[in-house]
Amino acid sequence: MNDDYLWDKTGQPDPQIQQLEEILGTLRYQPKPLQLPRRRSYFPLLAIAASVLLAIIAGAVWLRVRSRVEPPKQQVKVEQKSAQPEEAPKPPVNRSAANQPLLATNRIHRKRSVASVLPKREREEAMMAKEQVMLALRLTTEKLSLVHRRTQIKNQHKVG
Amino acid sequence: MYATADMLLTSPQAPAAEQSQETVIEVALVRAVLAGDREGFARLYDLYAPMVHGILLARVPRAEVDDLVQDIFLHAFKKLHTLRDASAFGPWIAMIARNRAVDFHRRSKETVEISDDVRGSDTHDSRAKEILELIRNLPEAYRETLVLRLVEGMTGPEIAARTGLTAASVRVNLHRGMKLLRERLGFMEGL
Repeated sequence: MNDDYLWDKTGQPDPQIQQLEEILGTLRYQPKPLQLPRRRSYFPLLAIAASVLLAIIAGAVWLRVRSRVEPPKQQVKVEQKSAQPEEAPKPPVNRSAANQPLLATNRIHRKRSVASVLPKREREEAMMAKEQVMLALRLTTEKLSLVHRRTQIKNQHKVG
Repeated sequence: MYATADMLLTSPQAPAAEQSQETVIEVALVRAVLAGDREGFARLYDLYAPMVHGILLARVPRAEVDDLVQDIFLHAFKKLHTLRDASAFGPWIAMIARNRAVDFHRRSKETVEISDDVRGSDTHDSRAKEILELIRNLPEAYRETLVLRLVEGMTGPEIAARTGLTAASVRVNLHRGMKLLRERLGFMEGL
């Protein structure tokens, strides 16, 4: 019996071991690719969360600018109007018909107030702020669509 | 006699000369995988899949081996951060494979195993299965070493380096296992 051949395949080959190797070699490991689980990417989720946060901040800035622009008179007017029915109750009328002129009046009033009440400088500032918010929103949209496209391409590569 | 040979298996260190190159590659790959390199794990898989295959083939039905190899590597990939010594990937995954084989038998106690022989078709293949069955009936320490040597084609030093066994114990197991196998093959015709 040749121990060297059995140990490290050196020396004179042992015919019986060679025969065994030949026969048992049919059971040898056949290489197969390993299927590792897909790595979960948190980048799109983070991008979406960041975009939403940016949009919220932009909205908050926009609201703040608007609230500076609007005079507090309106609130007083509304309160006065809501207090009136308590003093002299009117006969029941169709509610929707009664509310419509009020809403319409408010809307017209708001438009007029933004356009006319503000001094020129503040109006310009407001418009600039609005432009910035719009730009931020546009950028956010672009980034989101970019992330979406990248994710799609990545997924296609993985599937391929 | 068997107990003495089995006791040699407990030593986890192989001679440095035989292990050094394997160990350097192994450590680099394990560190790369831990740093997020998935390709590194594919290389570890290529290096160690034959060993894991051999360990399983010595213990579980052949039809189950391929799936178990994949399972074991997936498990190793998920748990690699628990490996304390990066140079011990081979012994670590060998141990996972042995434990998985034990689990397999524990779980499939109540099910009926279809013998490999039932599905044997060609003569060469069925003879291979017969010999494998003889090896599987040898003591555990011998069967694993013999399968790695005769089926997977690994040399003794390679077996020692990858499994973490000492070269001496691998040599003893090969020698004694082969002696026993020859005795049992004496009952078979044609060999």
